[in-house]
Amino acid sequence: MDNSELQPILDFMRELAPFDSLHEQTIKQCCQTLTIAYYSQQQKFVHVDSNEAQLYIVRSGAFEVVTKEGELIDRVGEGQYFGFSGMLSGEQVINQVRILEDGLVYHLSAKMFDQLRANSYSFDRFFNQAFAKRLRNQGSIKNNHISTARITSIMSRELAATTYDASIFQATQLMSKKRVSSLVIMKQEKLCGILTDRDLRDRVLAKGFNGDIAVEKVMTKNPATIEPDALVFEAMLKMSELNIHHLPVMCEGKPIAMLTSTDLIRSQSSQPILLIGQIERQNNLEELIQVSQKIPDLLYNLIASDAKAIEIGRILTSVTDSLTRSLIALKQKQLGPAPMKFCWLAFGSQGRQDQMAGSDQDNALILEKETNEQEKRYFKQLSEYVCSALNECGFPFCPGNIMAQNPQWQLSLQQWQQQFSKWVSTPNPKALLNAAIFFDMRPIYGEKSLFDSLQTSVLTITKNNDIFIAAMTKNALQSTPPLGFFRSFVIERDGTEVKGIDLKHKGNALINDIVRIYSLSAGITEVNTSKRLESLIAKQKIDKEVAMSLLDAWEFIAHKRLTNQGLQFNNTQPVSNYILPDNLSSLIRHQLKDAFKVIHEAQGTIRLKFLGQF
Amino acid sequence: MLQQWWLQHKLKKLIKNCQLESVRLHYQYLLAQLNKPILKTNLLALDIEMTGLEPKKDQIVSIGIIPIIDSQIRPKFAQYKLIKIQGSVGQSATIHGILDKDLTNALTIEEALLWLFEQCQDKVLVAHHAPLDLQFLQQALLTTQQRPHALFAIDTLNIDKQRQQRKQQVLKTGSLRLNACRERYNLPIYNAHNALTDALACAELLLAQLSKIGKLEEITVGQLLNKY
Amino acid sequence: MDAQILTYIIVGLTFGLYIGIAIWSRAGSTKEFYVAGGGVHPVVNGMATGADWMSAASFISLAGIVSFTGYDGSVYLMGWTGGYVLLALLMAPYLRKFGKFTVPDFIGDRYYSQTARTVAVVCAIFVSFTYIAGQMRGVGVVFSRFLEVDVDTGVYIGMCVVFFYAVLGGMKGITYTQVAQYCVMIFAFMVPAIFLSVMMTGHVFPQLGFGAELLDAAGNNSGVFLLDKLDGLSTQLGFAEYTLGSKSMIDVFFITGALMFGTAGLPHVIVRFFTVPSVKAARSSAGWALVFIAIMYTTIPALAVFSRVNMIETVNGADGQGVPHAEAPSWITSWEKTGLIKWDDKNGDGKMFYANGETNEMNIDRDIMVLATPEMTNLPAWVIALVAAGGLAAALSTSAGLLLVISTSVSHDLLKKNLMPHISDKKELMYARTAAAIGIVVAGYFGINPPGFVAAVVAIAFGLAASSLFPAITMGIFSKTMNKEGAIAGMIAGLSFTTIYILYFKFVNPEANIADNWLFGISPEGIGLLGMLVNFAVAAGVSRVTAAVPEPVQQMVEAIRFPKGSGEAQDH
Repeated sequence: MDNSELQPILDFMRELAPFDSLHEQTIKQCCQTLTIAYYSQQQKFVHVDSNEAQLYIVRSGAFEVVTKEGELIDRVGEGQYFGFSGMLSGEQVINQVRILEDGLVYHLSAKMFDQLRANSYSFDRFFNQAFAKRLRNQGSIKNNHISTARITSIMSRELAATTYDASIFQATQLMSKKRVSSLVIMKQEKLCGILTDRDLRDRVLAKGFNGDIAVEKVMTKNPATIEPDALVFEAMLKMSELNIHHLPVMCEGKPIAMLTSTDLIRSQSSQPILLIGQIERQNNLEELIQVSQKIPDLLYNLIASDAKAIEIGRILTSVTDSLTRSLIALKQKQLGPAPMKFCWLAFGSQGRQDQMAGSDQDNALILEKETNEQEKRYFKQLSEYVCSALNECGFPFCPGNIMAQNPQWQLSLQQWQQQFSKWVSTPNPKALLNAAIFFDMRPIYGEKSLFDSLQTSVLTITKNNDIFIAAMTKNALQSTPPLGFFRSFVIERDGTEVKGIDLKHKGNALINDIVRIYSLSAGITEVNTSKRLESLIAKQKIDKEVAMSLLDAWEFIAHKRLTNQGLQFNNTQPVSNYILPDNLSSLIRHQLKDAFKVIHEAQGTIRLKFLGQF
Repeated sequence: MLQQWWLQHKLKKLIKNCQLESVRLHYQYLLAQLNKPILKTNLLALDIEMTGLEPKKDQIVSIGIIPIIDSQIRPKFAQYKLIKIQGSVGQSATIHGILDKDLTNALTIEEALLWLFEQCQDKVLVAHHAPLDLQFLQQALLTTQQRPHALFAIDTLNIDKQRQQRKQQVLKTGSLRLNACRERYNLPIYNAHNALTDALACAELLLAQLSKIGKLEEITVGQLLNKY
Repeated sequence: MDAQILTYIIVGLTFGLYIGIAIWSRAGSTKEFYVAGGGVHPVVNGMATGADWMSAASFISLAGIVSFTGYDGSVYLMGWTGGYVLLALLMAPYLRKFGKFTVPDFIGDRYYSQTARTVAVVCAIFVSFTYIAGQMRGVGVVFSRFLEVDVDTGVYIGMCVVFFYAVLGGMKGITYTQVAQYCVMIFAFMVPAIFLSVMMTGHVFPQLGFGAELLDAAGNNSGVFLLDKLDGLSTQLGFAEYTLGSKSMIDVFFITGALMFGTAGLPHVIVRFFTVPSVKAARSSAGWALVFIAIMYTTIPALAVFSRVNMIETVNGADGQGVPHAEAPSWITSWEKTGLIKWDDKNGDGKMFYANGETNEMNIDRDIMVLATPEMTNLPAWVIALVAAGGLAAALSTSAGLLLVISTSVSHDLLKKNLMPHISDKKELMYARTAAAIGIVVAGYFGINPPGFVAAVVAIAFGLAASSLFPAITMGIFSKTMNKEGAIAGMIAGLSFTTIYILYFKFVNPEANIADNWLFGISPEGIGLLGMLVNFAVAAGVSRVTAAVPEPVQQMVEAIRFPKGSGEAQDH
C-alpha cells in the first residue's frame, strides 16, 4: 500500500461519475493533484480566479451558478461540478458561484482536467453533456413563461374531498370552511366526480332540491382530468375547449389537486393561448386561414425564446389540434350532426405531438360502422372540407394520401382492426412504412371510445409478436445515423449540391422508430416519444440509461434542428431539415456526434434484442 | 496581545538554547509568522496513532501529515509513516488497524522525529486535541535527545471549544470529538482511524473553522497558537 | 497460372463480391429504395434460403459419403430433402402465426413455462453446436488443401475466418450476399460435374449421365453402363456392390427419419421463414429454395459416381494393378500434405493400391472427394479454384447463421431471461459476442477431434433435434391438450435417450459400434427417430396424469390452426 494515499478522497472520487470510468491509477493520480478548500456562506461567492481555471468538485455543501445579472443557471450539490464551462468553451468566465450552504470543494487543475479529457472519451463526453445541459437550462430557466410551465408549478397542493354519499349540506359546509369553489368526490378510493359551485347553482338551487340529498345526484360525473406534468397551457386549452373551470389533477389514478381557472389566470396569458383563443372564436374559414398565418411567427418566437424542442412540438401540435377541431365544428354546423359516431384521428408527427415547421397532415376517420351511400356522402363532404382547409392553413396535403378525405382511410372500427391485423401479420415493406405512420395515432375529435377500442386491439396483436417486431426492427435499421468510419459526419449530396446532414430523417425519426418498436412490443399506449420512454422505464422494458440518453439525444438534435430553422427563417432562406456541420462550433459538432452515437448504439441494442443479430 | 508577546519571548529563548537544527528552524518560522495573517502561513495538519493514551507508557505507531498552503489542502504532499515500537501494539490494533507485522520495515522513532521536524521547518503544526499528540512527540524527543522540548500547535478542538463557550453553549460530552465537530461544519464523516485520514479530517476542519470565523485577513497565527 | 495462385485470386474475388454487395446494400437500401423495390422477390429469397441450407456438410461431404458408401449415403439426401418439405409446408406457417421468432420462444409461450423455454434453449444450443462442429471440419478441409497445411491448422484458420465473418463482418444476413454465395456454390458444384458427365458419358446433364453408358476412347457408346462398371470395380476390390448398400432396412429408415424430423427442428432454418413478409411469400420462397437445393442434390449421386470411378482408376491404374507412388498424380501428393490421404506401402512394391481389406494401401478421407475431383480428372485450374471458393461459401453461410443463433440464445434466452435478468443491454451484447467466441472454439475442438466424419456429425445433430425439439413443436401446434409437464418430460427423455445412446457408441465404447449391438439394429445416426418416439410417448403419458392446459393457451392453439382474422375479411 502506498502510505500517503488519502483513502477518503480516493473513495469519494472512485464512486464519482465520470471519474468512476477512469483507471484506478489515473484516479489516484487525480487525487494526488487535487487541492481542497472550504467555502462558507459568509464569503457569499466562490472567488473564481479566471486566470487559473480549474474544475470545482463539490464534496459537501451546495452552490448556485448564476449569471452576472444574477439569473440562476444551475444548482450544484455534493458530487457535482462547476467551473468547467470556461475550460470547455475557452471563454472568459463571467458566471458567478453563490454559496448556498457551507461545504468542502476539491479543485482539479485545468491541466489535469484537459489531460483526462484527452485520454478518456467518456470523461470528455460527460462534461460536454453537462455543459450542453447548462446552456439549455440557461435558456429555459430564463424563459420560464406560461407556455412551457408545468401544472405542478402553479397548482395548489391542498385538495378538498368528500365521499359520494355525503349530503349536499355537508359538502357546502366543507367548501365554505376550506374556502374552495369545488370538491373532489370519491367513491371507493377513486375519483367519481366533482362538485362545483356551478353544480350547486344549476342543479340544486334551480331544481329546488334540499340539502339532504347525496352529492352523487348533483355532481359532475366523470369529469375531465389532467396529469401533473402537463403544460399549464394544455390545461388552459382543455378548460376553454370544454368550457369548464375546474380540472382535477390526477397522479397514478388518484386526484392530488384541483386546478381552477383562477390558478391559470394568475399565471399571465401568453401568445399560444391567445392564438388558440382566436382560433376558437373564428366563425368562418377565411378568418381561420388568416389566424393560422401567425403560426410560423409563434414557432420562431418559441425558438427564439429557446424553449425545449419537446415543448415546442407539443405547443404547435396543440394549435393544429385546435384548428382541426374548429374546422370540423364549423363544417358540422353546416352539415348537421353526423349520422353515426366517429373519431377524427391524427397520425405521424401530429399524433406524436412533435410537429415542427412544414409538417404535412396525416389524418383519418374511424366510423362506428360501415356506411351507406348517404352516410358516405356526409363524411366525404366533412373530410374534404377539413383537409383542404388545413392545407390552406399551412398544413400541406399528405403526399402519401394518408388523409381523412381519402375513402381508403374512412373505415369502420372493425375495418381498421382488420387493416392493422393485416399489416401486423404481413409485414411487407409497404405495411412497415405505414406502421411508422399509423401506429403513432391520437384521437383529435369525436368519440374517443372508438379510438380506445382500436388502440387496445392493435396493441394486443403487436405485443409480444416477435415476428412483426423483428420485421419492424429490420426496417428501422435500414437507415442509420450519418456517422462514417472514424466518427466523421456523412454529408448528403444532391448532384453537386451539398445538402448537409438531415437532422430529421437521420436523427429524430430514427429515435422515434426505435422507441416505437420498444413501445409496440411492450403494448404501451403512449405515442409521444418522450412519454413512451417514460412509460418504458416505468415498466422496466428498457435500460434506464439507454432511455435517458435517447431522450437527451432526441432533444439535442431536435433543438439543433429548430435553431437551424430559426436561423434559416431569419435569413429568409428556405427552411429545411439539413444542417451543415462546417457551420457548427467544434463543441456542437462533438455533441451532435455523441447524439448520433447514442442512436447508433440503440440501433445495435434493438438489433440484438428484437432481431437476434449483432 | 499579551499572549503574543509572551509567545515571542518564549520562542526567542528556545531558539537560543535549541540544539536540534530542524527544531530550531521550526521555532524560527513560528517566530517569523506570529504576527502574520493565518491565510499566508503554511500549516501542517498532524495526527498520530498510539498504542495507548499515556505518553509515558505508550508509544507512537504512525504519523500522518498533510500541508495547507494558501488556505488549500494539498494531498500531493501528504505523508504517512509507520514507526517501530518496542513490544507489541497489543489491543490498540483494534483502533488504528496497524499490526505488529506491518511495523517490520517501519522507521525508528529517531528517524521519524527527524523526518517530522524536517517537514515542519517552514510550517505551523495543526492537530485536533493537540495536547495529546504533542505530549507523545515531546516524550519521544525526551527519550531520544535526553532533553525536553517545548512544542507549539493550533488546536482545532480548542477553537471549537472556545466558539461554543463564546456562544454560551453547554458542552456536551463527545461534542468536541473530531467527527462531531466536522458535522457542525457540513463536512463528510470519515470512518477510518488512520493517522493520515485524521490529519486530512483535521485540516478540513481547520479550513471550515477559519472560514466561519470570518475576517481571515485579521487573524494572526499568534492568536491561535498554543504552547505545550 | 498454377492452381494455387488462381485459388487465392478466385477466393479473394468471391469475398470481394460478398463485401461489395454488403456495402452496396448498406448504402443503397434507404427506405425509399426498399419500398420502390417492393421487397425481395421469392426467387431471390429462395436462393438465399438455399445458401443457408447448403452447408459445408452438403457441399463437401455429402458427395464424399455417397461416393464411398454408395446407396447407403443416399439416406442423407432423402432425409434432408424430406425434412425441408416438412418444415416448409407443415410447420413454418403455423409457427409464424404464433408470432414467435425462435423455437425456444414458441415453446416457452406455448407451454406457458420458463422451464420449457430453458430446456428448449439448451436443446437448440446443443443441436447448433453439433451442427456447427460438422461445418468446422469442412472449413478445415478446404483451408488445409488450399493453404497446403495440415487439416488441424486448416480448422484453426477456419475458426478465425468464421468468427470474424459472423461477429464483426457486416455481411451476414444480407439477402443479396446469400444469393451471391448460392451462385458461387452452385456454379462451383455444377461445373466439374458437367465436365465429368460430358467427358465420361457425353451427357451435358450429370443427372442423365449418371444412368448412361460410358464412352470409349473413340467417343462412342461402349455399351457398359456407368453404374455397372462401378459395381464391378467395387466387388472386384472387395467392397459391397455399390448400388446395393450395406445398411439394414430398419437402419436406413431410421436414419432418414431422424434427418427428416431433425431438419424440422433446426433453429437457424426456421428463422428464414419469419424474415419474409407473409406466409404466402414464405411458402413461395420455400418452394424456390427447394428447386435450388434440388439442383445440387440431384447432382450429388452423379458426381459421387464420377469421382469414385476416376479415383479408383487413377490410384489403381488402368490395369487395376496399382500405379507407382513415384508417378502418383499431383493431387495425391498435394492432399498427402494435409494428412487426408495416406499411403502405406504394405507389400513394398512401391505402387499404390486401393481396395477393401488387407491389400488396401491407401487411406483416403471421404471429405476430400468433392474438392479433389477437379484435380483428379485434370480439369482446368480455374475449376479447381472455383470449387474451393464454393466450399468456403458453403461453410461460411451456414456457420455464421448458426453462430448467431448460438450466441443470441446464450446471451438473451439463457442469461438475460434466466440467469441474470438485470444485465444491461451493453453487457448482453458483450455476452453474445463472448458466446460466439466460445462457440467457435468449442466447435473448432470438435472439428479437430470429430466423433465421425462431417456428414455423420451433422447427422447426429439432426438426431438430437428430432428427439428433442420436433415433438415439442408438433404437439404445440397440433395438440390442445399437451401441457408443460408433458412437453418438458418428453424433451428431456428424448434428448437424454438419444445423447446417451450416441455417447455410448461413439465415445464410451466405440468398438461395440456394430450392427449386432445396436438397439433394434438402429445405428447412432438413426437413433434420433427412436428418441423422438420416446419423446412423444413420455410426453403423452405425463400430460395425461398432470394438470390440464389453461384455457387461454388452448384458445391460442386453436387460433393458430383455424385463423379467424383472414377468414372474416373475406366474409362480407
